[in-house]
Amino acid sequence: MVNHGLVLDLVERLGGVARHGTVSVPLGEGNPEQLRDTVAAWCERTGNELVEMGDGVATVRRGRSPDPVAELAPDLVPGTRLWIYTNFDCNLACDYCCVRSSPQTERRALGVDRVRRLAVEAVAAGVSELILTGGEPFLLPDIDELVDACTAVLPTILLTNGMLFRGRRLEALRRMDRSRLALQISLDSATPEVHDQHRGHRSWERAVAGIRIARQEGFRVRVAATLPYEQSHELGPFHAFLDSLGIAPEDQVIRALAHRGFADHGLEMTLESLIPEVTVTADGIYWHPVSADHDDHLVTRDIFPLQDGITEVRRRFTQMRARSTAAAQWFPCA
Amino acid sequence: MSKPLIVGAVAYTPNVVPIWEGMRDYFAGTPAEMDFVLFSNYGRQVDSLLEGTIDIAWNTNLAWVRTVAQTDGNCRALAMRDTDTVFKSVFVARTGSNIHGLDGLKGRRLALGSQDSAQAAILPVHFLDHDGPGADAVDLVRINSDVGKHGDTGRSELDALRAVLNEQADAAAIGINTWEAIGREELMPGALEAFWESPAYSHCNFTALPGLPEERMEPWLQHLLAMDWDNPEHRPILELEGLRKWVLPRLEGYESLFEAVKEQEISARW
Repeated sequence: MVNHGLVLDLVERLGGVARHGTVSVPLGEGNPEQLRDTVAAWCERTGNELVEMGDGVATVRRGRSPDPVAELAPDLVPGTRLWIYTNFDCNLACDYCCVRSSPQTERRALGVDRVRRLAVEAVAAGVSELILTGGEPFLLPDIDELVDACTAVLPTILLTNGMLFRGRRLEALRRMDRSRLALQISLDSATPEVHDQHRGHRSWERAVAGIRIARQEGFRVRVAATLPYEQSHELGPFHAFLDSLGIAPEDQVIRALAHRGFADHGLEMTLESLIPEVTVTADGIYWHPVSADHDDHLVTRDIFPLQDGITEVRRRFTQMRARSTAAAQWFPCA
Repeated sequence: MSKPLIVGAVAYTPNVVPIWEGMRDYFAGTPAEMDFVLFSNYGRQVDSLLEGTIDIAWNTNLAWVRTVAQTDGNCRALAMRDTDTVFKSVFVARTGSNIHGLDGLKGRRLALGSQDSAQAAILPVHFLDHDGPGADAVDLVRINSDVGKHGDTGRSELDALRAVLNEQADAAAIGINTWEAIGREELMPGALEAFWESPAYSHCNFTALPGLPEERMEPWLQHLLAMDWDNPEHRPILELEGLRKWVLPRLEGYESLFEAVKEQEISARW
């Protein structure tokens, strides 16, 4: 016995809701599997989406759920960039470090073999840019080899505090491929006070010196400042200072302080509020680099195959956006 | 920026809003910007076109025929959907009912949609008279569930189908869009089958009066016709409105409805 009125009910009820709205239609009498097949076939044929079946009711969406990944700007699609935490130890102990790096922090290095494999798999997965970060990557004795594994296959950005460009580390820097590598050096202010308050005595002076060295060595240098959200509009003097150092306007990056890691305040970062940036550490694949030391943002412990991790991040993002869209429909303001 | 053209449409579903917002956005920044006004029924819309409140009306075929009647033909159809040029009425019955063609309806009950629905009432009666046993030979069961919308909601057509399934009628006359929406015979095997399809006729069009200057109308029309199914920004609007391409009107497709309105003495006004 099939409830022949079911399809008529679907047409009528769904016709009354706006695109992407959902409606629940009683299934009526009949074989549950047949009823499900009928609803699924009708949805397939008419371009609508069967959301769920249960308790004698089919919930159907008018049209199909928008693909949140497709709606993102191309450079924001998860997996377009791949963040790689080379290590977690650092010569500084910044009081807002989002991944709790310091001289006492365990290194947790990925190592050159895994970084090389990641770089190769990244190309196959459609990644267009690699971003190496830490900790302080220049603490690694084989940083030049590691960078070379990346620049050999993709354009790469290396994040550093810029304070270690001397001796063998300067020699390592000089061996890196200037045509494929940009350095991103952290600097929070145009004068030492604010920067040193968070990053340590004389760290501003040494960072500025590092910026100058990197530019003298022929590298493209980006400068990134981490600022409390409420200060992010008072940037005139800072940009003027960076201009004086020869940093191109598009290479002057301002990041809002995140309430993560050592930071006791800042923007809250939840899975729901962050567009994911696939991030690999020695401990697994994380949702976003700002949370690469937090289990709530761990996606999988399996680093390889990288494509699986990227696929899983996109799947969760799609699922999460669909859930929040549905929730928005369930809680109207009036 | 010149004054935007005002296009009228009837709000028979919530999706009318995103359709016309999408249309307005599509025309934004062009020499033929438009805005829209939504009406609750076609009678009010045509009155507003005649009064000059709107410049262009997105009319059903009956609204077009009535506009022609009220203006003595001094109106113009500008464009229609590709799907409007090949619209049909479909006569359906329970599977296995052994009704063959319109003549098979003689002495049987035929459920019709709203009295002002061209596809589900006016034209089916016309087809019975011209291609079948005559409407007088059939027991007509009229289901007026969405008068004023000219069958645009399809609700009365669905009610006509329910009447067939509930054995309150032997057959129903519906628009081909409703037949497609329920999946033809395929989604309800053993339930309904089509036993007659009408010749193709024209359905909706954009209607304007001679007072709309050519230099305002023509850029709007050309930009409308340029909407592209393969353009991802245009496609959602085309999908919602149920077409792949805007085309110039097929006026001969209205002849059957003009005849039907005359024969059935349907008034020029609401």
